[in-house]
Amino acid sequence: MRAPRGTGIVLLALFAAAPPALVGQQDAAAAGKVVYDRWCAECHGEAGQGDGSAAASMLPRPRDFAQALYQIRTTGSGQLPTDADIRFAIENGLPGTTMPGWPNLTDQEIDDVIVYLKSFSRFFAQGPAPEPLDFGSDPGGGPAAIEAGAAAYLTMLCEECHGLSGRGDGTSAPTLEDWRGLPIRAADLTEAWVFNGGSSVEDMHTRMLTGLDGTPMPSAIDAMNSGVVSPDEVWQLAHYLASFGPREMPPLREVIRVGRAEGGLPADGGEEAWAGVEAFHFPLSGQVVQLPRNFAPTVDGLWVQGLHDGIDVALRVQWNDPSNSPDPNWDEWQNKITAALDLDGAEPIALDSAGAPTVRPPDAVLLQFPFEMPEGTDRPYFLMGDAREPVYLWTWDSETGVGAARGRGLDSVEPLAEDPVAGEATWEEGRWTLYVRRPIEVESDGLDFVEGTPTPIAFQAWDGSSAEVGKRSSVSTWYYILLEPPASSTVVVTPLLAMLLTGAFGLVLVRRAQDRRRDR
Amino acid sequence: MRRYLSHPFWQGAIVVVASYVAFEYVIGYVLPVIGVASAPVPSSVIVEYMLIVLVGVLLYMSADEERWQRFREPIRATMVQPDRRTVRGILMVAFPVLIGWLAYERVKPSYAAPATLRAVHPAPPNQLTFRGETIELTGLENPLREEGSMEEHLAVGKRIYVRNCVPCHGDLLDGQGHYAQAFNPVPADFTSSGNLPQLTESYVFWRIVKGGPGLPREGTPWDSAMPAWETILEQDEIWATILYLYDQTGFPPRTWEEEGGHE
Ligand code: HEC
Ligand code: HEC
Ligand code: HEC
Repeated sequence: MRAPRGTGIVLLALFAAAPPALVGQQDAAAAGKVVYDRWCAECHGEAGQGDGSAAASMLPRPRDFAQALYQIRTTGSGQLPTDADIRFAIENGLPGTTMPGWPNLTDQEIDDVIVYLKSFSRFFAQGPAPEPLDFGSDPGGGPAAIEAGAAAYLTMLCEECHGLSGRGDGTSAPTLEDWRGLPIRAADLTEAWVFNGGSSVEDMHTRMLTGLDGTPMPSAIDAMNSGVVSPDEVWQLAHYLASFGPREMPPLREVIRVGRAEGGLPADGGEEAWAGVEAFHFPLSGQVVQLPRNFAPTVDGLWVQGLHDGIDVALRVQWNDPSNSPDPNWDEWQNKITAALDLDGAEPIALDSAGAPTVRPPDAVLLQFPFEMPEGTDRPYFLMGDAREPVYLWTWDSETGVGAARGRGLDSVEPLAEDPVAGEATWEEGRWTLYVRRPIEVESDGLDFVEGTPTPIAFQAWDGSSAEVGKRSSVSTWYYILLEPPASSTVVVTPLLAMLLTGAFGLVLVRRAQDRRRDR
Repeated sequence: MRRYLSHPFWQGAIVVVASYVAFEYVIGYVLPVIGVASAPVPSSVIVEYMLIVLVGVLLYMSADEERWQRFREPIRATMVQPDRRTVRGILMVAFPVLIGWLAYERVKPSYAAPATLRAVHPAPPNQLTFRGETIELTGLENPLREEGSMEEHLAVGKRIYVRNCVPCHGDLLDGQGHYAQAFNPVPADFTSSGNLPQLTESYVFWRIVKGGPGLPREGTPWDSAMPAWETILEQDEIWATILYLYDQTGFPPRTWEEEGGHE
């Protein structure tokens, strides 16, 4: 390993100041440096300033340890973390960012690397060790607590950033910046599995009291001290947050089951018609396969529901996107993302003389199917097919609406002359709801759904306000969609018949054997 | 115990049960644990295999008259003897239920994804073209092991890996990058002893250069999200990344001698 330039100086400084108790620290820092150089330096930088070689392709950026601004703390706003806090971040990682946990490191290695991380900042050497806050105790959850929490959510102005439904679409959301001036999303509170500090009620309560240093997320302590809310109300707020959605990422199920609609298909994406229809969650990834790549996409997953009536199939697709693009309120956000994120060679959107973007791309989603039903398990290339095997696309964008197209690769899309796909989309409180519908069989093309037989399906999504256009999208690989056949009697009759026949056959055999014995 | 083991009927029963355990559990679950690439056998295939085993056992038993008689003896006894009434009753119910259940398994509506039997490490081609240049793979060694400074190669490899591969293969090289869950099949786990140490560096080079689109057809080519890096990286950058993969995981690559001895 090459010796990082800064470390010699850091270690020297430690030595120079060394009271005897620090000698053990020096050994630990040296051991920690070995771990750090091996696993951490490429992101956090050789001198810990969060400026590693790939930092520009990451949003949020790797932590700058020289600033000592830690998010995961049990200490007050603006204070240093305890060693246990840093350990928590290293062991559990910061979900939703490029830094997952480090279960491969031993306890000793983590202890050592913590000493080394702290040596990057002069703050840790000054003053006494930080003390954890007193978090009080949870007065308990339940409907009443959740209701009180919902009130506190408004009193404490959480919705200004996080939005009324918690999807990160508050009025201030487009303006949020971290301490570096880089754009930062107010967390989507309906996706607790990407919270940095854990998703339990205790975790969320802790984050509220401590705030997330280096981000606009404030600490609730001031509001508590000035009597705006009581300590119990902050706990109740945490219970309210826990009611926003599942704590864990929903388990992946590969096959979307499309049931038969009793009494006709829903005519739109409205809530009443779709309540009770099973919803399937699919995580999306940035398109990181072909240039230019999207290293930090907005849309990280979508929910799909389906119904059919033997003639048409209707799907409802929902995904969270804080901006209803194109929206001039998000101009500055779009500019900041363009400037902050490694666009991987994509042409940045030009600005006019007033500094506004010349293009405001729409939001968009694609549902992708094979163009012809393939033989066996063969499928077109998951990134919109290729010249040999094209894909059938149900397209939607916020400017031109729903359509149908043939795809022969990410940059080759041609609309179909005869377009059998109909539908519409609505945006509400940070969520798109897309309703699409198509006949099960269409004469002019090769995509016919067969009841009971799985058809491959894949997804793609764009957030226009984050300058996502062309290949810079969110993608998935292939899953399946399956239209349930009408209930059939064979499921009951065949096994019954098989049982009866075997039973009768057995009886005859036994009877014959016994007869023969008696005869003898 | 002895008596049972030397009796044709129980021998047959043991073969049938052992085959079932092998098909159902050993192939799918035990082999992967001891590092052999394998996957669970679909239930319809198991039924077919079991029929073959059954026919085989019956053929063997009936090939010899005396063995056949001894084989049939306990079956006949259960059917006729008064003191085996209870066993007879239980079997007369259990057998039809088993058949009924097998029939139900066949006809019940299935909402499972079709089984794709993916060859995880399909045979590599003998040569490949890198942006039009033909490269022989057989016998090919990592050229960077012979030239320049290993320290610098590893630094390059790490830089390439973190920018390009981390989203899928992860910081820990364990195939659990922050986007890994969006992909099916999942990104390869380089810390598994079933991957890197079983592969020559030229094999890994081929996989990185051609990615998912370059897999032969038996690998159900179009599913893998693994990019074809020849459009993005230079040859030396790929070789350096391979050095980094082996160095960071601590595995030695498979050598051509081992590869030769294997075939
Ligand atoms: C692939 C890049 C990457 C690697 C490798 C990496 N990190 Fe990080 N790390 C990040 C990012 C990005 C963040 C900031 C996430 C955020 O702001 O939400 C971060 C944040 C942190 C934090 C701050 C937690 C807090 O409370 O704010 C700590 C501590 C940390 N990393 C330690 C480590 C250690 C120790 C290693 C090596 C064992 C390591 N990181 C390796 C990307 C990385
Ligand atoms: C000024 C804007 C702002 C306000 C007001 C605000 N937040 Fe946040 N909040 C943020 C940002 C930005 C993040 C994401 C930080 C990150 O990504 O690292 C966040 C993150 C969170 C998280 C996730 C924590 C984690 O572990 O990752 C929770 C929970 C949360 N906020 C709850 C609240 C609640 C409850 C309130 C009201 C008391 C509130 N926020 C008020 C901006 C805000
Ligand atoms: C978009 C996600 C993605 C990215 C980015 C990616 N890979 Fe992969 N990779 C995969 C998947 C999925 C597989 C498993 C399927 C397969 O074998 O094709 C895989 C398999 C591999 C294999 C085969 C391993 C084996 O045991 O056969 C190698 C080698 C590999 N990747 C190297 C790399 C390198 C090096 C990079 C960065 C330059 C990289 N990958 C980037 C998704 C990715």
